[in-house]
Amino acid sequence: MSTALQQRRTQVAIFIVVLAGIIVLPLFFNPASGFVDDCTLALAYITMALGLNIIVGFAGLLDLGYVAFYAIGAYTMGWLASGFYADADIHIGVTGFAENLPGIHLNFFLVLIAAMVFTTIAGIIIGLPTLRLRGDYIAIVTLAFGEIIGRVAINGDEIKFSEGFPLTNGRQGITPVDKIDLPFVDQFTSLNLRPWYWVALGLVLVVLFVNFRLRDSRLGRAWIALREDEVAAISMGIPAVKTKLFAYGTGAAFGGISGAFLASYLNTVNADQFQFSFSIFVLAMVILGGLGSIWGVVLGSVALTFINYRLIPDVLNDVPNKVGLDFDLTELSFGIFGFLLVVMMVLRPEGLIPERRRQMELEEGIGAGDTELELVEP
Amino acid sequence: MEAASLPATRPKPLRVLQDWLSKYGLIVVLLAMPVYYGIQDLSDDGNLTRLGGNIVDGLSNGAIWALVAIGYTLVYGIIELINFAHGEVFMIGSFTAAGFFGTVGLTAGMGVPGLALGLLLTLVVCMVVSGMLNVMIERVAYRPLRNAPVLAPLITAVGFSFILQNVGILWRGGSQEGIPDLINSQHELFTIFGLDITNGDVLSIGTTVPLVILMVTFINQSRLGKAMRATAQDPEAARLMGINVDTTISLTFLIGGMLAGAAGLIYALYQTTIWYAQGFTAGLIAFTAAVMGGIGNIKGAVLGGVIIGIIQQISDNRIGTEWTPAIVFAYLVLIMVFKPSGLLGEETREAG
Amino acid sequence: MTETSQDMMLEARGVSKVFGGLTAVGGVDFVIPRASIVSLIGPNGAGKTTFFNMLTGLYKPTTGRIVFDDKPITGGRPDKIMALGVARTFQNIRLFGTMSARENVMVGEHARMKAGLFGSILRLPHVRKEERHVRDKAGEELEYVGLRPGTFDQLAVNLSYGDQRRVEIARALASDPKLLLLDEPTAGMNPQESDELTALMRRLRDERGLTILLIEHDMKVVMGVSEHITVLDHGEKISEGLPDDVRADPKVVEAYLGKGAGQL
Ligand SMILES: Nc1ncnc2c1ncn2[C@@H]1O[C@H](COP(=O)(O)OP(=O)(O)OP(=O)(O)O)[C@@H](O)[C@H]1O
Ligand SMILES: [Mg+2]
Repeated sequence: MSTALQQRRTQVAIFIVVLAGIIVLPLFFNPASGFVDDCTLALAYITMALGLNIIVGFAGLLDLGYVAFYAIGAYTMGWLASGFYADADIHIGVTGFAENLPGIHLNFFLVLIAAMVFTTIAGIIIGLPTLRLRGDYIAIVTLAFGEIIGRVAINGDEIKFSEGFPLTNGRQGITPVDKIDLPFVDQFTSLNLRPWYWVALGLVLVVLFVNFRLRDSRLGRAWIALREDEVAAISMGIPAVKTKLFAYGTGAAFGGISGAFLASYLNTVNADQFQFSFSIFVLAMVILGGLGSIWGVVLGSVALTFINYRLIPDVLNDVPNKVGLDFDLTELSFGIFGFLLVVMMVLRPEGLIPERRRQMELEEGIGAGDTELELVEP
Repeated sequence: MEAASLPATRPKPLRVLQDWLSKYGLIVVLLAMPVYYGIQDLSDDGNLTRLGGNIVDGLSNGAIWALVAIGYTLVYGIIELINFAHGEVFMIGSFTAAGFFGTVGLTAGMGVPGLALGLLLTLVVCMVVSGMLNVMIERVAYRPLRNAPVLAPLITAVGFSFILQNVGILWRGGSQEGIPDLINSQHELFTIFGLDITNGDVLSIGTTVPLVILMVTFINQSRLGKAMRATAQDPEAARLMGINVDTTISLTFLIGGMLAGAAGLIYALYQTTIWYAQGFTAGLIAFTAAVMGGIGNIKGAVLGGVIIGIIQQISDNRIGTEWTPAIVFAYLVLIMVFKPSGLLGEETREAG
Repeated sequence: MTETSQDMMLEARGVSKVFGGLTAVGGVDFVIPRASIVSLIGPNGAGKTTFFNMLTGLYKPTTGRIVFDDKPITGGRPDKIMALGVARTFQNIRLFGTMSARENVMVGEHARMKAGLFGSILRLPHVRKEERHVRDKAGEELEYVGLRPGTFDQLAVNLSYGDQRRVEIARALASDPKLLLLDEPTAGMNPQESDELTALMRRLRDERGLTILLIEHDMKVVMGVSEHITVLDHGEKISEGLPDDVRADPKVVEAYLGKGAGQL
């Protein structure tokens, strides 16, 4: 018992030291450097991947349309904190530049809350009818929803609430978007990325905390039970749809938070971003790291962000040319992620840092059985 | 409190309505668009020519989706996997066709006999390439995962679909590419009931129908086809009866891939533009068709393909091409949620 | 039947289940008096498990009505029926493989717990208390069914067959059910374990006032413990009554002929 306690103390100590290092990290780099930029993106993607991890890793629901929540989060930012609805004149909790601009301008934290609410509602609307379907059907239906939302984003300029209030700005996107505006702190700018980094880190810490707490709770147990044997789980009194909906809604909310942050950080809501490939990008992070493994997902997100934004464009891009092939590697980044998915699933399905239970599941073939089939009945 | 929320026997009228909806609801939903625009045409033009035109174009498109949808349905029927990379197999079929035109020097100005022979050859090549590709995908990405959790092969399938898209980019670039209009696709061949039938329509339907007949005959008559059906029914029993299940699964992928290859060629000739991303949308449309018809059911896949082709055409023509994918996906969601057994599918799948 | 329905834990009327063309259960009437142990027997494929699945909501009956504890449960959702007080075990053990014996039992308490999403995230005092309580109770149930304390935190799948069956019963008990459904609980057990299980069933009835419905092929167990037996064959009820009456019923002997009729 005492060794377990000691072990736990050591873990906490390591965590605090590492966290301190991560907090001061940007101080060693130019505040507008590409490195701090990549790190901030990585943190935003960790938030997103940890959200998806609750859905796919904990509850075992393959969501192929996670991009929907990114989109809704980003648009929440675009709607509520930009000059997009220039005919409106609403300012709540904003100081600095935004105070005098036309449009709707809400404080960043209010937008975050709104993004959570909107994405959770969307999650419930999508999840309620779908989560009772078979696993592979859930995957396709969520994919279809993601595509529908992507299309609505692109063509949403044709949908108008009233004159001057279209749903989206179509392919033009919504630009600029308000920068984060916190009390007692200078307005965030694109010249100093450190504050962005710290806000993103704060979001990651919140999401990490929630991930850990949920994993070791009544709900976490119910998710595992449903994932392993749905028939046994519902016979033990676990309401399947409701329990899955908790996973889906929570995961959705984190996608929304991250989406809102990214919209502000990137200063745009670009309708063309919201594509299937983005869902797969985030899914690849979760799978690379290890389904359900919290630290694995963190590692997977960091790795894929740097592969995508640094390694492929800056380091490896010229390699094909050098060996006499006529293409840039950036064109192929998604092929590389696809390749990663296949290789991981075939060779190391438990991911880089396997989650304890998942590894057992794979080794012993638990949960691979026909439990789903027996549920289907007239 | 809990007791109250349990459904006692539902009131009768509600049950009758529910039964009726579950039987005919899908048909009503599918008829909604054609009927609505049919009525509109009648009141605007006094005839149904415009809707008829939509339907003719829809049939030709739908024939292509039907060929692709059969591939989904066959594979799902036998190993219960959504072969997500199937759309890309179709895309590779189109790319093979475009490449082959160049290699053997097929041009629009050639005489009919030479062109026909060349196209027939292309058809064979496309079918072989796509068929082999599909077999290879199964070997590499699905077979190692046959005993893994159900969703694992679906993830590799998605991964493979991205790999193939990038193969497409490497092969013919990342943008839409116009290819020679070998058959003069939009040329009006004849007119019936005021509807123009083009070369493309004839090619599409004229190729699909024999191919489907050939395939159905093969599955129903040949020994291999019977092995396929036996495996689909009960893999374990099939194995005990001495059927080589692995070979049978490969054969299923081969047939599905070949049909997708043929569809790729027809698509290339009919649309005269191809690009690497065509497989993704086509794949989802065809999958919608397969589910609409009742997944696992070949007749259903053909029916679903035709219906979805018509819906797509009506939407392109009336609502706008930019909305068509969203509309097709909305149908996909509606069907999967409210009638996952589709039009012709069986209500139950027997418990393993 | 002379009893009024108030004395009944469960009442099923004209319950049937048709799969495609196959009638797995055909119009069965069935009652279980409170605080009794009754058995459902019949040859393989008679429809016993299918009947269980209808009682627990996994299958919706094609026809018929089921009333549990004076509440209609026909076609209700499994988790709701469980919450009302019907718990079960499975013929082919269905424990959660990556969970310890204790965690498995804790899942059984799910329906009796209150911790919600936010409570779990914030780990509020009442959530902590509940979690501790549930953990302790799981231990108690495991002890009650006779699992050795050293094995509580082992993976359930690594336990012996008999112990796995016990964990399944503990998991069912964890929800404080009123009616316990056991589907061939002695399958794969040695005679000594079967005897222990028989004793356990009696204790559950006498100490906890539980009502038990048992599916069982082992006639020694059935005859030893049941107050009332119902026999199914091809989905039809062919006989019912006291153990001795059923044993003597020629129809039952015929149904079992060639399937160990001598045992009866
Ligand atoms: N989901 C299902 N789909 C189709 N048929 C089924 C299904 N479940 C059960 N059956 C059939 O119903 C009949 C009764 O099966 P059931 O499992 O209830 O029998 P049982 O009495 O429990 O037999 P055993 O003693 O072998 O457990 C069998 O013929 C079985 O094949
Ligand atoms: Mg049984």
